[in-house]
Amino acid sequence: MIEVRLFATFRDGREKVYFLELKDFKNAGEIIDHFRIRREDVAILLINGVYLPIDSPVKDGDVIALFPPVGGG
Amino acid sequence: MRYERQTLIPQIGQNGQEKLKKGKVTVIGVGGLGSPVLTYLVSAGVGKIQMIDCDAVSESNLNRQFLHHTGDIGRPKVLSAQEKLVSLNPEVDLSTVNKRLNKENIEECIIGSDVVVDCVDNIETRILVASACIKLNIPLVEGGVVGFYGYVIDIGRDYPCLSCLGYDKAKQKTPVPVLGVTAGVIGCMQANECIKLLLGIGEPLYGRMLNYDGLSGTWEEVKVKKTQNCVVHKNAEKRGK
Repeated sequence: MIEVRLFATFRDGREKVYFLELKDFKNAGEIIDHFRIRREDVAILLINGVYLPIDSPVKDGDVIALFPPVGGG
Repeated sequence: MRYERQTLIPQIGQNGQEKLKKGKVTVIGVGGLGSPVLTYLVSAGVGKIQMIDCDAVSESNLNRQFLHHTGDIGRPKVLSAQEKLVSLNPEVDLSTVNKRLNKENIEECIIGSDVVVDCVDNIETRILVASACIKLNIPLVEGGVVGFYGYVIDIGRDYPCLSCLGYDKAKQKTPVPVLGVTAGVIGCMQANECIKLLLGIGEPLYGRMLNYDGLSGTWEEVKVKKTQNCVVHKNAEKRGK
């Protein structure tokens, strides 16, 4: 299983956490596509707390966190 | 008498209050995050506070930037904020920088600060500020908001920065939707982190991204790690040698 944690506006209309079957996905990008999130809208992609490219392979037990960009002023 | 209630806190006391008085903090951005950050640092008696912002107050700022009032529209934000903050606590040495930060001036603007608090509204300046803080080895309190959500994280030379997280490659749509309350919550957390860093107390949020969800009323911590090939950290290490 892969744990996917969505943050901020990625939660709008979705759950906070999903558990997905590894066999359905080759890499992190395919997981982002699964949630119908545009890849270019992902500001931070972390796999087990580490930033990795979007085409990085995923393995059983991985925790993926996805964040959109934020503002401030 | 002004600081009586906070000097009663065992982790602060009179010694801590003296530390705050000797502290020098730079706050970059005098808007939605900057308003609570500056208000609470000034209230707490941080001795020297420099605020940097190149913008003027506009009507669309007023849902969240409470240091600026309707009559301030069109005025430089640093002057509008300084006026209220001096009135709040005249004991604090408040200085203003009304210019846009860039690669050429960022280091001279923040050098000598004990802590920098990032309250800006765009990715480019966030990366610029974080890079300079790591180069100069100044602790940075970073915060961001969108809608009902936000995060806080502390950044330092030995800890992950925004570039470590790949944030330098992100693209931001503007304007970013923000509820005033969300900026207030995150700005207060940034002020709290800044006070902890000045006093050397508690557990700073280094390597821990604390995420706020105002809709579900929850906070979640995400542990983050430095990336080996982070350009910002590599440049800082070269400079340190």
